[in-house]
Amino acid sequence: MVRILLKFSEALVGQPITAEIILEHKVPINIITAHVDSKGGEFLAEVPDEALEEVVQAFRARGATVSLPKLIEIDKDLCFDCGACVSICPLEAIGVDEDFSINFDKEKCVGSTCSACVEACPAGAIKSVKQNNSEIASKT
Amino acid sequence: MCSSGAIVNLGHSDPPIKIEKAWVNDVEACHPGAAVDLYVGATAMSDKHPFEYGGGHVIEDLVRGKEVNLNATAYGTDCYPKTQIQTNLTKDDLNQFYLLNFRNCYQRYACAVNSRDETIYTYMGKLLPRMRNATFSGAGELNPLMNDPDYETIGIGTRIFLGGAQGYIIGEGTQHEPLSRSGTLMVRGNCKNMNADFLRGAAFSHYGTTLYVGLGIPIPILNEGLAKKTAIRDHEIFTQVVDYGVPRRDRPKLRKVSYEELKSGTIIVNERKVRVSSLSSLKTAKKIAETLKTWISNASFYITAPVERLANDSVFKPMKETEVTPFVARVMQSAVTCRENEKIKAIAERIVTRSVNHIIVVDDKNRLGGIVTSWDITRAMAEGKTALTDIVTRRVVTVKPDEPLETASRRMAQHNISALPVINSERKVLGIVTAEDVSKLLGR
Repeated sequence: MVRILLKFSEALVGQPITAEIILEHKVPINIITAHVDSKGGEFLAEVPDEALEEVVQAFRARGATVSLPKLIEIDKDLCFDCGACVSICPLEAIGVDEDFSINFDKEKCVGSTCSACVEACPAGAIKSVKQNNSEIASKT
Repeated sequence: MCSSGAIVNLGHSDPPIKIEKAWVNDVEACHPGAAVDLYVGATAMSDKHPFEYGGGHVIEDLVRGKEVNLNATAYGTDCYPKTQIQTNLTKDDLNQFYLLNFRNCYQRYACAVNSRDETIYTYMGKLLPRMRNATFSGAGELNPLMNDPDYETIGIGTRIFLGGAQGYIIGEGTQHEPLSRSGTLMVRGNCKNMNADFLRGAAFSHYGTTLYVGLGIPIPILNEGLAKKTAIRDHEIFTQVVDYGVPRRDRPKLRKVSYEELKSGTIIVNERKVRVSSLSSLKTAKKIAETLKTWISNASFYITAPVERLANDSVFKPMKETEVTPFVARVMQSAVTCRENEKIKAIAERIVTRSVNHIIVVDDKNRLGGIVTSWDITRAMAEGKTALTDIVTRRVVTVKPDEPLETASRRMAQHNISALPVINSERKVLGIVTAEDVSKLLGR
């Protein structure tokens, strides 16, 4: 699965474009976070790798802005399990195991749309890295 | 711990140099003694990459066997004629390479939160606004000083685990205050035998660099009392939740909290749940305890008796200051205010008659609602706007009366603004402090 970040203008807020694309292209689009008000909206969604190009084009054709957020990665060689990243994570994607190891739930993480943990890490072990296929989203 | 560093002896160059200033991987080293002795302090930062790389990283790199760059200058003497040197060194090239930490192993430490409206970056890590997270430090029940609080076995000469090697306690640490359960240690160990798993350079964003030091102390159970003391558990060890949003020596203490609560991941502060996490690696603390146990049981580490006891009654005094630090309350002036429903023209007139540049918008209880500047008014006039609500700034940067003037000055510079409303904890407006008032007093 690939994560995409969709931005909608005020004009698109009332239109069911995500539902249309799901039905038309028969692809599952899993919405992870969404912030929508009358002035516009922002979705973080997950789409299957093979449908990425098609979905990106479909959203763009309808006037949405699409980008691929970077994903957060913790380098286990550099990490010494201090815990500085844990309380800072707004989505509770980073936690502490029984043995005080740091665990990271990628599914909960919203990647570079947040990045709060990156600068909180004293070990320099947390980085935001480009997703595979990110070149697709940079094509217009 | 920040009060850590390493003493190195470089050996002599030919012709010799009496080093005046030196940099190792662009990190300035202190030169406390004769010609070629340097002290690499953990908190000294790289000139090229400040806040990313510092003395702690230099020590870690050397311990890992990496090559570092030395650059030094000197004024030149008859016996030490050389005035400049550049060379690359590994730990094997150094004569002595000793960790020499003047404060380590804090018995316990505060739990930090931030009451301000902005994120702050401290030695307790990144603290989110309005107490949205909390951090703490220390291993609680695993802290050696908590297990021998009367210093029966921990003293000068005690052999310890330090950075993955065997080291020694050389005295009480700076700021040692055993009576308040805030003891510290001064330690020494040979870096050449150390292991980077237990000695890591670190960088706290917008704060500075430091060194994570792995330290363990064996406590022989010599008597019934020690057996009981070493059985201490996290729920019996308390510290305070402290508001680091107040940049004063005596920061407000919000509540008492046990290490058991801190290690649970959540604490309650002001009736709200706050996520809390450690800054020191509890996982490494356990690993140290286990490693030390293995060393002792396979007879590669021998327990020593201290040759001298540590002070058990020393007090950590505040600094004697001969100059008085000015605080915001001293320079703030009464604020010129307005209400939300006023017309822009009326406010423009007030700016002229009262000869000010900032008007603070308040509600009927004198609580802060926003701020309007003479520039906002000028622009509104040019754009033909008449309603105050269209131009008022809602996210106002503020200051409290008991904050130092220096802090107010820095905050204005950070946000590129020229005044700060002074408010109390209920957000009631007490006055205003302007850049002009600050520069008059601070002379800049």
